Amino acid sequence: MRAFFRQRPTAFQPRSIAFRLIVAVMAVELASAILAVGLSFGYERHTHFHSFDVLLHGHVDSILGAVQDADDPEKNVMLVQADLHLPHDDIYEVYDSNGRVLGRSANWQGIPLNMLAPSQGPYMQLTVNGRPYRVLRFQGSRIIDVAEPGGGKLRQFTILYGAPTNHVWRAIRGAVEFYAAGSLLMLLVTGPLIAWLLHRGLLPLRQLAALAALVSVDSWQFSPPASAHSTPELAPLTQAIENVLQRLERSFLQQRVFVSDAAHELKTAVAVIKSSLQLLNMKRRTPAEYEAGLERCLSDSLRLEQIVAKMLTLAREENATTGSGPQPSSDLAECLESAVAQLETFASLRGVKVEVATAVSGVSLVPLIAEDCLLLVSNLLLNALQHSPAETLVEIHLAQKAGTAELRIRDHGDGIDPDALPYVFDRFYRGDPARARSTGGTGLGLAICKAIAERAGGSVTIASQADPDSPDRGTTVTVRLPLAAKVANSLPSA
Amino acid sequence: MRVLLVEDEVRLADNLSAALRDGPGFAVDWAEDGLMGDDCACNRCYDLIILDLMLPKLDGLSVLKRLRGRQDATPVLILTAKDGADSIIQLLNAGADDYLAKPFDLGELIARAKALIRRGKGASHPTLTVGGLEINTLEQTVRRDGSLVDLSPTEYHILEYLMHRPRVIVSKRELLEHLYDYNWEHHSNVIEAHVSNLRKKLDGALPEPDPVIETMRGRGYRLAPEPQPEPDLEQSQ
Repeated sequence: MRAFFRQRPTAFQPRSIAFRLIVAVMAVELASAILAVGLSFGYERHTHFHSFDVLLHGHVDSILGAVQDADDPEKNVMLVQADLHLPHDDIYEVYDSNGRVLGRSANWQGIPLNMLAPSQGPYMQLTVNGRPYRVLRFQGSRIIDVAEPGGGKLRQFTILYGAPTNHVWRAIRGAVEFYAAGSLLMLLVTGPLIAWLLHRGLLPLRQLAALAALVSVDSWQFSPPASAHSTPELAPLTQAIENVLQRLERSFLQQRVFVSDAAHELKTAVAVIKSSLQLLNMKRRTPAEYEAGLERCLSDSLRLEQIVAKMLTLAREENATTGSGPQPSSDLAECLESAVAQLETFASLRGVKVEVATAVSGVSLVPLIAEDCLLLVSNLLLNALQHSPAETLVEIHLAQKAGTAELRIRDHGDGIDPDALPYVFDRFYRGDPARARSTGGTGLGLAICKAIAERAGGSVTIASQADPDSPDRGTTVTVRLPLAAKVANSLPSA
Repeated sequence: MRVLLVEDEVRLADNLSAALRDGPGFAVDWAEDGLMGDDCACNRCYDLIILDLMLPKLDGLSVLKRLRGRQDATPVLILTAKDGADSIIQLLNAGADDYLAKPFDLGELIARAKALIRRGKGASHPTLTVGGLEINTLEQTVRRDGSLVDLSPTEYHILEYLMHRPRVIVSKRELLEHLYDYNWEHHSNVIEAHVSNLRKKLDGALPEPDPVIETMRGRGYRLAPEPQPEPDLEQSQ
């Protein structure tokens, strides 16, 4: 067991649970051992002294038998010591009611009278010849000449009988020592046994830890044994580890997909520029061809610029933490107005009409900085315009209900395929890549909108009807943003 | 040679098509998504397929697997923006012949495309020789018994295609399919006119012409009829 301690010192560091459990168990064991020894001492002392006292009484009885009629005129009693066969270590003394000593053992000078207070009990402790004695005082009486008329004469006397208690104490000590040694032995045996049992008992925990340690970025496999789920102590831990790992894996995968997608986008954009330049350089060309080629290269690099800018925006929106400064606020209605104004030319170029219906008078303050608010609205409006065929309408509706501002943008375009609908907020997702690219889409617009809205504690949802025969064909994007608290109340006055 | 380009990035596809047409003079068909690419590949008229990996509707790997599942042996060059040996190993094991990582060099792409086409037709060197006829596919030059013959691009492409398949009857339809892209008007008499010019140019230079291209009426054309044992020996010396 010592070797075991040396092998695994970490398991028994002061703060380890196993160590604390072992110390606690050993302390309880020690306490109960002490209690058992104490109790056994009490019990042994009681039984030994009980039999010792019985013995004393027996000896007193034999002395009582040796007290006899002295046959003198005063009708005294006397002690016939010749018949007494008592242990030679014992002491005794017999005296009558007048204090006259009738006889005493040879090895004793008698007891000083002042010690014989009548209030004392029948037993007393004495030290004779340097040894402890237990002495019994017995009041005896004898009737002399019972046969005489008028009854005999009552003689009272006192017997003091003592025996050394050394051997009793020795016996008690022996018994107690036996119990104490037994307990100590038990303690020594059970201590390591408990340590070993604990070590074994904690094995599933260590196995779980070893399994959890195997998890890495490249291998998310965590398969705890079935017992880990059924053990009440391990189940919550196992569950927690599994949940954490699942969440981590999901976010890790998301990040990895994003990085891979971003790399793909950037590399593709660079490939476009590079191939445009190399194509131009493949052979001698006319100045007009060079001009057109350079024009294309410029627009290609513009697209790369856009992708980079949008990626940075998305990264900013997704990683932004709500600062401790004053809550930002901006007017959604005002942002809507400027977004519409910004995109007016684009809309008329595409032959799309924009119709704004505002159900609120005055301002709708939302917890966003004006720049983000405008970005959100203009992104959504641009998206709607890009998916609107000519001669159609984009309807915008702004309303307030129960502390929430609701902005609905509806187009009458081709709609989004129901299969694609759940993914439209994914980064780099494009419903129709060829078309999205031709209109300058990067697949990041909706992801940015979502990030902005969610940072403000709101949401963006999308509903679409892609059935060509349906009169409701088109897409509706709904943004819900909480109204900035401090001004929400003062709205009616505005 | 006819190439199928499956690439969803419009500008990149434009550039690649232009480069492949301008440089080696391939006929190029463009498919903008995986499903369309798969549909086009079903025609089996391509000498090379250039396949992007990240495609809408059906990704490049699935297109490749479908292609090889049909026992189609057309060489496939993969364009990928993904890093990592794993995906490259996976691609090559799925039947890809070569890959290029974006952003790639246009010259390298063209060279690899040519090499893959050549390999796909069983030739290992850019210079092809059949009988007394020798063409250099890099310079796009033709020599008959050592003397240079000047050909138009279309005539050259017809000859190059026939040179890859000596003594095999090649139909007009096959020539059309491999020399013109999808948007071209399919007129077989265009081929007839070109072959006629080609024959004149190849045989006209010689005092005693031995017709190099045979016309099999109603069936097509055949390059280098039964070789004479003596010239063959001379050739090998």
